[in-house]
Amino acid sequence: MRKSAWITLAACAAAIIAIAAAGRPSGAQQPSGPVGVVLTASDSAAFKGPRQPVYFRHDVHSGQYKISCQYCHYSAAVSNEPGIPSMQTCMGCHLIIGGADSANQLQIALVRESWNTKKPIEWVRVHSLARHVHFPHSQHIKAMGPNACATCHGDVSRMPQVYKVNNINNMGWCINCHLARNVNRDCTACHY
Amino acid sequence: MSDEREPSSDVSRRRFLAVLGTTSAGAVALSGCSTERVEKLIPYLVQSEDQVPGIPTWYASTCTECSAGCGLHVRVREGRPVKLEGNPEHPINKGALCARGQAGLQGLYNPGRVRAPMVKQGGAWKEISWDDAIALLAQKIGAAGGKLAVITGAGRGTFSSFLGDWTSAAGGRVVRYQPFDLEPVRAANARVFGRDEIPAYDFAAAKYIVSFGADFLETFGSSTEYQLAYADAHGFTPGREAAKHVYFAPRASLTGLNADEWHAVVPGSETSLALAMAGVLLQQRGGSVPGMPSVSVDDAAKATGLSAETITRLAKEFASASPSLAVAGGIGSQTAGATELCAAVNLLNFAAGNVGQTVRFGADLDHGDGFGALEALSKSMASGEVEVVLVQEANPVFTAPRATKFAESLGKVPFKVSTALYFDETAAASDLLLPSHHALERWDDLNARNGVWGLMQPVLTPVFNTMAPGDILLKTAQKAGGSLAKFSAASWEDQLKSTWQARFPGGDAMWRAALARGGVYQDAVVVPVTLASTDVTAAAAALEGTGEFTLLPYASSHYFDGRGANRPWLAENPDPVTKITWQSWVELSPEAAARLNVREGEILKVTSPHGSVEAAAYIYPGLRADVIAMPLGLGHTELGEFAKGRGVNYLDLLGPVSGAFIPYVSVKVQVERTPAYRKVAKTEGNTRQLGRGIAEAMPLVHAEQGLTLEQSAKAAGHPAHEINTPRELEALQGWREGQVGREDGQGRRLGNYVGEHAMWGMAVDLSRCTGCSACVTACYAENNIAWVGEDQVLRGREMSWMRIERYWEGGFDGEPIEARFVPLMCQHCDNAPCEPVCPVYAAYHTPDGLNGQVYNRCVGTRYCANNCPYKVRYFNWLAYNKKAFPEPLNLQLNPDVTVRARGVMEKCTFCVQRIRVAQHVAKLEDRALRDGDVVTACQQACPSRAITFGDMHDPGSAVLKVKESPRGYHILEEINVRPAVTYLAKVLRREPVAHAAAGGEEQH
Repeated sequence: MRKSAWITLAACAAAIIAIAAAGRPSGAQQPSGPVGVVLTASDSAAFKGPRQPVYFRHDVHSGQYKISCQYCHYSAAVSNEPGIPSMQTCMGCHLIIGGADSANQLQIALVRESWNTKKPIEWVRVHSLARHVHFPHSQHIKAMGPNACATCHGDVSRMPQVYKVNNINNMGWCINCHLARNVNRDCTACHY
Repeated sequence: MSDEREPSSDVSRRRFLAVLGTTSAGAVALSGCSTERVEKLIPYLVQSEDQVPGIPTWYASTCTECSAGCGLHVRVREGRPVKLEGNPEHPINKGALCARGQAGLQGLYNPGRVRAPMVKQGGAWKEISWDDAIALLAQKIGAAGGKLAVITGAGRGTFSSFLGDWTSAAGGRVVRYQPFDLEPVRAANARVFGRDEIPAYDFAAAKYIVSFGADFLETFGSSTEYQLAYADAHGFTPGREAAKHVYFAPRASLTGLNADEWHAVVPGSETSLALAMAGVLLQQRGGSVPGMPSVSVDDAAKATGLSAETITRLAKEFASASPSLAVAGGIGSQTAGATELCAAVNLLNFAAGNVGQTVRFGADLDHGDGFGALEALSKSMASGEVEVVLVQEANPVFTAPRATKFAESLGKVPFKVSTALYFDETAAASDLLLPSHHALERWDDLNARNGVWGLMQPVLTPVFNTMAPGDILLKTAQKAGGSLAKFSAASWEDQLKSTWQARFPGGDAMWRAALARGGVYQDAVVVPVTLASTDVTAAAAALEGTGEFTLLPYASSHYFDGRGANRPWLAENPDPVTKITWQSWVELSPEAAARLNVREGEILKVTSPHGSVEAAAYIYPGLRADVIAMPLGLGHTELGEFAKGRGVNYLDLLGPVSGAFIPYVSVKVQVERTPAYRKVAKTEGNTRQLGRGIAEAMPLVHAEQGLTLEQSAKAAGHPAHEINTPRELEALQGWREGQVGREDGQGRRLGNYVGEHAMWGMAVDLSRCTGCSACVTACYAENNIAWVGEDQVLRGREMSWMRIERYWEGGFDGEPIEARFVPLMCQHCDNAPCEPVCPVYAAYHTPDGLNGQVYNRCVGTRYCANNCPYKVRYFNWLAYNKKAFPEPLNLQLNPDVTVRARGVMEKCTFCVQRIRVAQHVAKLEDRALRDGDVVTACQQACPSRAITFGDMHDPGSAVLKVKESPRGYHILEEINVRPAVTYLAKVLRREPVAHAAAGGEEQH
């Protein structure tokens, strides 16, 4: 169905052109944020959030190149689950984009290696809800629009390494918002 | 709640996520709360196009749990099937599915499965590679020089034809063996009508149904199909003439308990009864069947033990209805003379003009070769004529009575191969195990009857290192070469697909359409038949032995031929008739129990000329005094941890088989008391209603007049039953408004109970419900309900959110005994007693009328359960969730539903997860919820279509229409809890027994 779209040539080409137009990616060109220099994987320990097996930079993908969240996390708008992008999604672009400098090349090589050896990268989970809570991502995007992600996840477009901005596992976080917007506060809306 | 940090059941819980697995891995630093577990997110390499995380994908398939061939819809989440439902497009089951069919999922994820090919070396099993295993088989078949035999339990289809071709190419022979094969039905049809087949029965069209021991609601033939039709015919629909149902058998099975009249005839005497009825019918209608043996009503009365008046009355009623339907051939009436009985019933149907109407030949329902073929093979094996035997999806070591010495014959075969899915008794006796894919893991088809071809497709990557049986045969053929070399297809999938494309026109488009619909469905051509023979012997077959009781083993509606024994859902789901879980039992009548001074639970020793078994006594009023009855299917010595060593196998009491079928009712037995006692693990409480009005009923005439229960009671001369006094009613005025509109003192509404909301409600039509318990299994599957096991059931701790209560009515002073079934789930009371007593607001009322239970709030005080008048709240005492889902059963868990931890109260939620998903989908599609968007699991499964669910605020909703029926009532209405579940009183085709009087009082 719609998923096939994101591996079509058209989509890849668009992304590549966008990146090409943005010029040489480097930390220096990022929007103002906590990052000021080109970082290597070993550096990422200095940032908030758990270190990931690949130093995947949301600030580059989402911030610098303005790739929409749902380009990768496509099921967030249609399903309760946001999903985690498949390795194929990464390779859709990184089959061609190899990185401009050695630090980036190193990380992209890890992605390609994972693809070639058919061993998916094991990301460390940052946002995790208790198992007795059901959070329908699609309903929130439907109600608040495609850029609603930042409400809970923070502005990942400025994060070189994703960390938890809000204590989403605290029910007060949910309820405050639902009170402010005067929407459903029924327990069984989420707990069943 | 402590859930979060409890290790275990990793894949279980709320979601498998968009992740292939979540593991609690080592020490990776994590920002934020340091007490949280570190979880890994493992992406797909390539995401399947038809799997969206969080959204179920449905695949059509076909059920293989019996030979009926019902269509399935498999609900797959993140690559794992989590629920089986009926395929609404399928002509046989039309969307419904029985308990056994649903438990097919526990067959897929069964811990008792053979996990890899194995070879027996020096008495021990050793795992080998598939290549080695197939090479070994090919070599043995090559060396056997045609001395090959195959026993298969597979249904008729492309595979069974291929297996036939394959075996004859190798010079061997095939026996297609299915237990409960209805051999007498086929033999009688061959004799009387010249057609060796099982016809299609149209229960829906019949205006009068007579069953001579055929348990068509549970184990006889295509029972889900029959039940759908039976509910239409026999259930009450205003303006439609309801069929009457009469059941003749020594024991009232579930089918018998649903009959309007059950007559406990002498075992084996049904033949003369059928012939006498045919005689009366011909007399009344003025026709004749030349050559039909004539049995007088008096002779039949003498043989059966019924009165001549009763027989004449029933025969005349039967004669006045057209079309009618008579069926025979159940296991519980399968004496050595069963073929004669079926032939007599054929003549009865013929005389009544039912043949071609409600009994239609031409469909040729699937069946095996019969027990006679297995017996013949057994003799060949015993005499050393077989070098290699291949057993495929059959367990004859268990299902053939011990006295037939099948196991010994099998032992004489030098090389025995089994492709069993499960390590069953036959697999244990083999030398080589080549485990098959489950039906949900492979390509296959099933030609359950002429015109109906069901397809199966793999819906997940195989759970274990198994192979499709078609591929095993192909690979073996290619390895063996020689006469088998012609089977050169690259894979079984290719072969099946090309066979289909040759069979049906339309090429790829046809194939894709068939896959989506679950198969190709055409109507079978009805073949007219003529009378070929009227030869019937009316005399009952002699019974062996000298005991005082006739042994009546019957097919268990849950375990069937024993294949269900290792599935906890079926073991925990109480037997619909006796309400016993997990155990084997011996049924004896109250008269016999009084005579022998036996109480329930006493271990009885039952001895026949061929063996003896011991099991606990259960006193069952639906039984003749000279008969003891026992369910088959337990007493396994293998099959897996839940079956091994549980219960006893009553087949051990039977003698050698000489005919073409197993005469299950053929021995007389002695019953002795032993000093031992074992408490019966049953879920029945008080078997009488004690005037509480739980399972109400009204006579047919009153239902037809549209009377309410109150009016009906008045018309029948019973004293009026006051539900609420005028003062109570006055006190109730405005109570709901007072509750829902409460403010917090600052002008704010508490919650949002006053806005536009659905109001969920349910209606259960007791005139349709048969008590079959398919809904119970559906509820277990949908809601991740943990089974608790025998010891916990004995403590009354079963977790069945939905249960079927069975109450007895009558049975005293010569009154007939009557069973009433009531599916009981949370009633979602508007004025729920459980809610105000919860100290932590875990039990509360949702705006849309649900009685919510918030697991993470619950602290386990159990006040709510104490205060629930319906006893539908279940407490998780011992972390049942840890024991109930051992690998790989945990893969079945529904990711939409929380797996409850220890110390938490739980109960029916009206499938709130389905409500929420339907609401989400409607919102995404910018529309309002439509009636029928939410279907609860029990409603979906129900093979009687007794349950309706919907929004009571929607004036056009189906549930509202049903609830408006004058037969509607609430259970325990007088306590004013305002349940959201309305029951529609059962309709009796005779005067209702006054429930407040006779039966109840005597129990006190």
